[in-house]
Amino acid sequence: MHEATLAENILDIALDAAEKNHATKILKIGLTLGEMTGVEVEALTLSFDVLKKDTPADCAELVVKRVPISAACNKCGKTFRLERYNFFCPECDGILILRSGRELLVEFVDCE
Amino acid sequence: MRNILGANDDIAAQNRKVFAEHGVIVMNLMGSPGSGKTTLLEQTLARFADKIKIVVIEGDLFTAKDAERIEKSGVDVIQINTAGGCHLDAPMIQKVCASLDLDALDLIIVENVGNLVCPAEFDLGENFKAVVLSITEGDDKPLKYPLIFKESEAVLLNKVDLLPFTNFNLESARNDLTTLHPTIKIFETSCTTGAGLETWCAWLLKKLEAR
Ligand SMILES: Nc1nc2c(ncn2[C@@H]2O[C@H](COP(=O)(O)OP(=O)(O)O)[C@@H](O)[C@H]2O)c(=O)[nH]1
Ligand SMILES: [Mg+2]
Ligand SMILES: [Zn+2]
Repeated sequence: MHEATLAENILDIALDAAEKNHATKILKIGLTLGEMTGVEVEALTLSFDVLKKDTPADCAELVVKRVPISAACNKCGKTFRLERYNFFCPECDGILILRSGRELLVEFVDCE
Repeated sequence: MRNILGANDDIAAQNRKVFAEHGVIVMNLMGSPGSGKTTLLEQTLARFADKIKIVVIEGDLFTAKDAERIEKSGVDVIQINTAGGCHLDAPMIQKVCASLDLDALDLIIVENVGNLVCPAEFDLGENFKAVVLSITEGDDKPLKYPLIFKESEAVLLNKVDLLPFTNFNLESARNDLTTLHPTIKIFETSCTTGAGLETWCAWLLKKLEAR
C-alpha cells in the first residue's frame, strides 16, 4: 500500500541528511510512528530494503518506535491513553482531542 | 527530526492557501471500491449542477470509467490515473488545479482511489474529507479502519436499501463512529431509492455558504 511511498520519503530524508553531514554510509534510521497511523512496519521495512540497494543506505537498518494514542479532554483537561478509540472523556462529559498517535517522523539518521 | 510526509504536507498547505484565495471549497471523498462514491456523486451533481459551479477530480488506478460517468451529468471532470498508486497526493492535485479557473468555481469534489487505508494519510489541501461506507461492507469497519473515519468530517452509510438483506447493525455502527469521532456527521443514504440524499446535499450546500 502506501508503505512504498513512505519508504521512498524516508530514504530521501536519510540521503539528504547524510549528504549534509558529508557522510558516505548510513547505518541506522530512527522512526517514530504513532499507533493511529495506518502503517504496517513489516511492509515498510520490505519496501525500504528494496529501495536502499546501491545507495549509501545499503546497509541501513530501520529502528521503529511506536507512540501510543493519547488524548486530552476539552473540558477537564486530563490526558488519557486510549486503547479502544473511545474519544469520550471517562471522567466528565467532555470530548477527547488527539494529542499523540499520528506521528510519522524520521527521528534520527546515524551515518559515518 | 523530519516529517515523513513533510513534502506532501507542504504542497497540501500551498493548495489550501490557493483554494482559500480563490474562494473554492474542496471535498476529498473517500471509501472502499464499490461503496458508491461515483453513484453518490452522480446523484449529488444532479441536484446541484444548475445551482453551483463544480469540477470533479476522479482518482483511479488505471481507467477513466468513473470520469466518463460523471461527464454524462454535464459537469467538468479531470481524470488522474495513479498507475497503481493506492491514493491521491497533494502534488497530483496541485498539478491538475493549475489548469483550472478557480475563481469561476464554487466546489471541487475529489473522488479518491477506492481504499480505506492510504487516502486517509495524505492531505490534499482539501477543506474537509468525507467517507462512504456501504452497508454490504459490514458494521465493523469504523473500528478496523479508524483513521479514515477519524479524519472525515462526514460519513455516508450508503446502500441502506440493502439493510434487510444483511446483518449490518446501524445502531452499533453509529455508536462506534461516534465514540471514535464524537463530532462526525452521519448520513444514511441510498442512491437507488434516494433516501437521505436531500439531507446530505443540504449539509454540503451549508458548507459552501459558510465559506
Ligand atoms: N443497492 C444499492 N446499490 C448501490 C447504491 N449506491 C451505489 N450502488 C451500486 O454499487 C456499485 C458500485 O458503485 P460505484 O458508485 O461505482 O462505487 P465506487 O467504486 O465507490 O465509486 C454500483 O453497481 C452501484 O450501482 C445504493 O445506495 N444501493
Ligand atoms: Mg468510483
Ligand atoms: Zn473530562
